[in-house]
Amino acid sequence: MREDVVFKGSRDGLQLVFNEAVEFDIVMEQIKAKLESAVNFFTKGTIVQMSSDLTGFTQDQQLELIHLFKNYGITLKEPPAEQPGNPSSSGLPSVETELAQTLVVTRTLRGGQEIVHNGSVIIMGDVNPGAKVTAGGDIIVHGACRGIVHAGFSGNMDASITAERLLASQIRIANLISRAPDNLDKPERVETARIKDGIIVIGPAN
Amino acid sequence: MGEVIVVTSGKGGVGKTTTTANLGTGFALMGKKVVLVDADIGLRNLDVVMGLENRIVYDLVDVTEGNCRLKQALIRDKRYETLYLLPAAQTRDKTAVSPDQMRQLCQDLVQEFDYVIIDCPAGIEQGFKNAIAGADRAVIVTTPEVSAVRDADRIIGLLESEGKSNPKLIVNRIRPKMVKKGDMMDIDDIIEILAVDLLGIIPEDEYIVISTNRGEPAITNPVSLASTAYKNIVRRLMGENVPLMSLETNDGFFGKIKKILGM
Repeated sequence: MREDVVFKGSRDGLQLVFNEAVEFDIVMEQIKAKLESAVNFFTKGTIVQMSSDLTGFTQDQQLELIHLFKNYGITLKEPPAEQPGNPSSSGLPSVETELAQTLVVTRTLRGGQEIVHNGSVIIMGDVNPGAKVTAGGDIIVHGACRGIVHAGFSGNMDASITAERLLASQIRIANLISRAPDNLDKPERVETARIKDGIIVIGPAN
Repeated sequence: MGEVIVVTSGKGGVGKTTTTANLGTGFALMGKKVVLVDADIGLRNLDVVMGLENRIVYDLVDVTEGNCRLKQALIRDKRYETLYLLPAAQTRDKTAVSPDQMRQLCQDLVQEFDYVIIDCPAGIEQGFKNAIAGADRAVIVTTPEVSAVRDADRIIGLLESEGKSNPKLIVNRIRPKMVKKGDMMDIDDIIEILAVDLLGIIPEDEYIVISTNRGEPAITNPVSLASTAYKNIVRRLMGENVPLMSLETNDGFFGKIKKILGM
């Protein structure tokens, strides 16, 4: 199946992007299939932002879309109004205070699996290579962390990432990215990554 | 009622078809009634490995499309009375069958056979979805390479999301000498990443190439190392508790003494 519908994670959260050339029915079908196949990832209360090219659809079709998401407990937000200035600063803080609950995941994340959550995320298991965790708050992994972890994705510079074995291929906090050195030593103890003086620093957890 | 086992891996070329053929023959050696199902529609191989290619009249797609009865498509093995093959179609592709049809097919087969073993195609697309649809258990085959282990991990995740948890792992083509030197991933590294139960390890064995080309599964050869490993796996799948075989080929004088003393 060709992918005409994509959920993109951006700094402002999840964004729904689709191929404008495709018919509405096909778009609906693909969205449904995606939501169905990843029920665990689209947790209740998730907010998805429409990309602005939705205007190609009629009013009715737009409503139908919103209803589809509602059935899965997901709020579909209008695309950000095209006002000059600061679009992100106005909307986001309310989202964080409203939904900043901690998500506890009680399994190992395998390659290709992804968790996106507005609050903090605790994982009772490993994060394997190819898996991705994106959290608005902190990320704590009770196991080996070998995938990609992104804490404080909405711009929270105080967010941290803690893992029993921090072997992540990439660590992102807020808008900073750091990658693992090519010859990574196996850590002996619990470590935490956080931002210090504008760079990501890894040290023993305390 | 029998059991449906799917043999899958994600990555191609790690030994799914060889494993399917050997496990099937192994079950037949133990007196079980077995059918091997080739789910790799369009790129069928299992018939060649079993040496049954020239007997194919009807195939899996003929069955699901109602062109023939299930019994007509089943090919009995040359050597073992209780071993059957349901070949894949070669002129069609994976979309010729749906997961629902495969589920139905497995339900029909499992009434007649003790074990239904499905040879899954490589990849995670339609062919994979078809192959796992009717399975009760999954056996994951991997080799001691980072790429194969990555794909196996992805497959385990996909199986879990389909509600098929607790897959068993076979590590194929292990070279004990390379592992010893640290040039090859060892079993512990693989298990640590995949975190699933180990069903068995199969050493690299040249005889596999010979047997595949001849169309007789290696498990029938009494001296091949891989054959012993496959026999152990068959017994484990039947619920027996068989210890992992030692791959030490040349452990020297002290090694032998240790072994005798049971250390």
